[in-house]
Amino acid sequence: MNLLTALAIGVLFGVGIFQLLRRNVIRSVMGLVLISNAMNLFLLSMGAYNGEAAAYAGSSAQISDPTPQALALTAIVISMGGFAFVLAMLYIISLRYKTSDSDHIQELKH
Amino acid sequence: MNLWLIAPLSLLLIGILLALAAARRKIAAVRLAWMLAVWPAAAFACLAWLTAANANNSPLTLSYAWLPSLNLSFSLYLDGLSALFALLITGIGSLVTIYSGYYFEKDDSSWRFQSYLLTFMAAMLGLVLAGDVITLFIFWEGTSLTSFLLIAYKTSDEEARRGAFKALFITGGGGIAMLAGLLFIGITVGDMGYASILSGGDVLRNHPFYPAMLGLIAFGAFTKSAQAPAHIWLPQAMTAPTPASAFLHSATMVKAGVYLLARLNPALGFTDLWFWLLSLFGLATMITGAYLGFKQNDLKALLAYSTISQLGALVALIGQDTEIAFKALVISILAHALYKSALFLTAGIVDHETGSRDLRRLGGLARAMPFTATAATISGLSMSGLPPLFGFLAKETQLATSVHPGLPPILNVLFPLVVVAAGALLLGQGGLFVYDVFFKRPADPKHPVRGHEPRWGMWLAPMIPAIISLAVGVLPEPEFLASFLAHSAAASYGSKVKVSLALWSGVNIPLFLSAIAVSTGSLLFIQRKRIRPVLQAFLPQFSFNHLYDATLRGGDALARQFTRLQNGHLRFYLSIMLVALGIILWLFQAIPFDFLTMQPASSLLSVDGLALLRVFTLSMAGLSAFTTIFLRRDLFAILALSVSGLAVAVWIALEPAPDVALVQIVVDLLATVILVLSLTRLPRLQREKAREFTYRQSRPGLLRDGLIALGSGLLVALLVYISLQTRPHESLLAPYFAQNAKPLAGAKDIVGAILVDFRGFDTFFEIVVFASAGLGIHMLLHYAARKAGDHEDPEPTPGPLKQHPVTGVAGLPTSPLLHLLAYALLPLAFLLAVVQLMYGHDQPGDGFTAGVFISLAIGSWYVIFGYQATKQRLPWLRSGYLIAYGLLLALINGLLGAWFGSGFMAPLNYGQMLNLPLPQGFYLSNAFIFEVAICLAVLGGATYILDNLGRPRELNLESDALLQAIQEEPTTQMESETT
Repeated sequence: MNLLTALAIGVLFGVGIFQLLRRNVIRSVMGLVLISNAMNLFLLSMGAYNGEAAAYAGSSAQISDPTPQALALTAIVISMGGFAFVLAMLYIISLRYKTSDSDHIQELKH
Repeated sequence: MNLWLIAPLSLLLIGILLALAAARRKIAAVRLAWMLAVWPAAAFACLAWLTAANANNSPLTLSYAWLPSLNLSFSLYLDGLSALFALLITGIGSLVTIYSGYYFEKDDSSWRFQSYLLTFMAAMLGLVLAGDVITLFIFWEGTSLTSFLLIAYKTSDEEARRGAFKALFITGGGGIAMLAGLLFIGITVGDMGYASILSGGDVLRNHPFYPAMLGLIAFGAFTKSAQAPAHIWLPQAMTAPTPASAFLHSATMVKAGVYLLARLNPALGFTDLWFWLLSLFGLATMITGAYLGFKQNDLKALLAYSTISQLGALVALIGQDTEIAFKALVISILAHALYKSALFLTAGIVDHETGSRDLRRLGGLARAMPFTATAATISGLSMSGLPPLFGFLAKETQLATSVHPGLPPILNVLFPLVVVAAGALLLGQGGLFVYDVFFKRPADPKHPVRGHEPRWGMWLAPMIPAIISLAVGVLPEPEFLASFLAHSAAASYGSKVKVSLALWSGVNIPLFLSAIAVSTGSLLFIQRKRIRPVLQAFLPQFSFNHLYDATLRGGDALARQFTRLQNGHLRFYLSIMLVALGIILWLFQAIPFDFLTMQPASSLLSVDGLALLRVFTLSMAGLSAFTTIFLRRDLFAILALSVSGLAVAVWIALEPAPDVALVQIVVDLLATVILVLSLTRLPRLQREKAREFTYRQSRPGLLRDGLIALGSGLLVALLVYISLQTRPHESLLAPYFAQNAKPLAGAKDIVGAILVDFRGFDTFFEIVVFASAGLGIHMLLHYAARKAGDHEDPEPTPGPLKQHPVTGVAGLPTSPLLHLLAYALLPLAFLLAVVQLMYGHDQPGDGFTAGVFISLAIGSWYVIFGYQATKQRLPWLRSGYLIAYGLLLALINGLLGAWFGSGFMAPLNYGQMLNLPLPQGFYLSNAFIFEVAICLAVLGGATYILDNLGRPRELNLESDALLQAIQEEPTTQMESETT
């Protein structure tokens, strides 16, 4: 199971990197989403217990580890904020340069 | 500990502050100078008193713990060697301060020069008084920076700026090397203070890295003290105003390197390497400076080169292992400081009064300025090494060192030869300075350079050191000076040194050599009209400046090559970073490939309960992510991305982690909505073109990207696998949270309890971040972009809104059924949100999901009714206020916890406190209020995001001009591919 989880996270991350390297900035944003999904999954799967029940007080079964869950929740919210901000910047950039092609957006160079 | 040690530096600090205070007031330059000169003079007196009162001559120290955890302290140290330099700095400093007042008499901003000068003085004083190598380095850099300001004082002069830069470049570079060397020494000895370093000589000399330490220290000292070939900065630094030259480039800054070497001699010295390094560099510098000096026509340049020559002599002396060398060292330091500062100051007077420093034009000034001529003559003869002046003694002792029987072959010929030759050349230069300027008839009698005596304060400054030069030689041997110098020499030599200041030491070899030097020098001087032109014609182009220029040019060229890598393609940068990361990981063998082979084969595919579902969701997440690569249309790719995100949410739910899964679902939906809607806002043609070039890439480029992606994916998979296999299976925190969630936070949902209670402060900042993102986007798109002319939308009309037509995306009408759905959706979302808020402590769900639910419903309104109509229908929707109320509520709520409870955000149950009749399972606690605050802030942030990014285009505003601009763009450019 661990191997499968690792592979799935690896696929998400690798595809994320590949999309990030596209010329189309929309694809780059998608790459960011994939990478942050992969990282959040990684964080979450680091829990100490193989839980059988959700983390509720008084549960008789083995609960899942609540600590990484709380951290992952915060991480998801913050990566959402970051994603929105990056999207806004790319939107502005593509408006200013009249293109969504990152290879044409070269004025940052000068 | 001697607290008085801080007094000299403090006195100078007062002077600096006074000089700065004079910036705004119109104080005559001369008056200001006398006011300021009091402080270095007081520091001089203080230092003299400290030295005189220190009967047993053990070093005085002062230490103040600065960063005790790193064993760093600010410490001061005063022994014979520091005292010699410190007295020279403050003594000559006072004279130069007075002199500058007259020099800048007509300059309203003389306070600027004076404040630089005093700051430099303080840095220099700190350098020689420092008690550990870190303090030393800080003051050392201080002298480099302040001397930069002084050299470039005439900021409008290109040459001055260039000279200042050169000095900073060379001495600053040396300073960095020196820092490395000092840290090396400090770490080897185990302490940064002098006490440990000076007694740790044996450890240092036997250390395998001794040559490296010595090399680094010598590099710093040689650059600072203008040893050949790094001497080139000193002549060019003569663009500084003459008072600065007199101070920095004769008595003080250039001697910092000499001080450092003399200071560290007991620790690093007495080895063959030290001996040869210092002797050879010193002697080479000595002869180079003397030779070049004799060629000069400019008075200041002549003095600069003779300074270089004497600095070389000092360095060579430190390299020796004989008592007489250190006697020569202290005498030469003092003699040189006295005559050279006086000579610089008289050169400044000549320049100031006649407007010329050119030897070929000057002449016969002795009649017009008798006092200046007297000071110059005494000092010039002292430089020439003639009796009965102090300079004679300096040269005699140098000669005595050079014929010491302990010298190895080659050097026992070279050393006396160089000293004699340099002595002869210096005598020639002394003659040039004294005779040609003051006594010779002017070269052009019809247009003589005229001048007259300056005001008394100005000639007094060079007169005092000149008189001392004379007095030391003529008066019967001053006992206190001899014993003071003996202590200085002993501090540097490491054992006792006998110093006598008697000029006459009998007929011996040094006297004989001295006679040769004097006669050769006289010959050079008499034949100067024939010799100097020959010298000037010989190799005029040869200079180490070419090397310096070439270095700078090389640096520029290298920088240009590196800039070429920056081709402006952000993707290219990203690839380089990833590849570099991979190389680093590979080089440091940070990738444990052998981990996989160590695992038993059965554990690789071990499967537990719910396995099939998990396998399914994981494959779904991975595969749908993979599909995004192959879907050509952006819209479909975004939908596939969304599927992947939802699959991730299901996987999270199987963990089981229902709270996180819920958040992942709403975030995924929100992200999808925003992406799709912002896609609709891009001009259509641009979108279509984007689709074309997404896959237009050369095969090698595609392969490269694919390999990078594959590599990083595999690396992350490996990392995750290792982490998963080796993670601990016992949590320290979880049992505590599980036990205390109910009693302390009043929540069954442990994750919720952690978020709003145990780690509530984190959550508070989390919503601040989210709200800031919303605000930032609003600022960026609403104001900044519009101001820059980026926005294609017209400004929405303010004021009372007229009834807006109900139109959906792209201005198309929407069906009434959809309207009905929208009307039903929003109240439903509110209901869901309220339930989540009320019962979120026992069930999945929290304020964040509640806020996003409502935002999503509002997003659907934007799509169905259009932006303006929605705004009109939901007048309460003002994102900025929502964020403000939310954050304020969260803050007040937390403070109430501090007021009534045990601390900020401490749990309080108001329902119980007030005995309110509340429905079963609902608590009116401050956790609930916090959730409401989160919901408000998130609603505000999310609607800002939707407003600005997710707002669909209502009208097709793609103007003809825009269309044309896009069409006209040459397609060939698009096909260009980076490699």
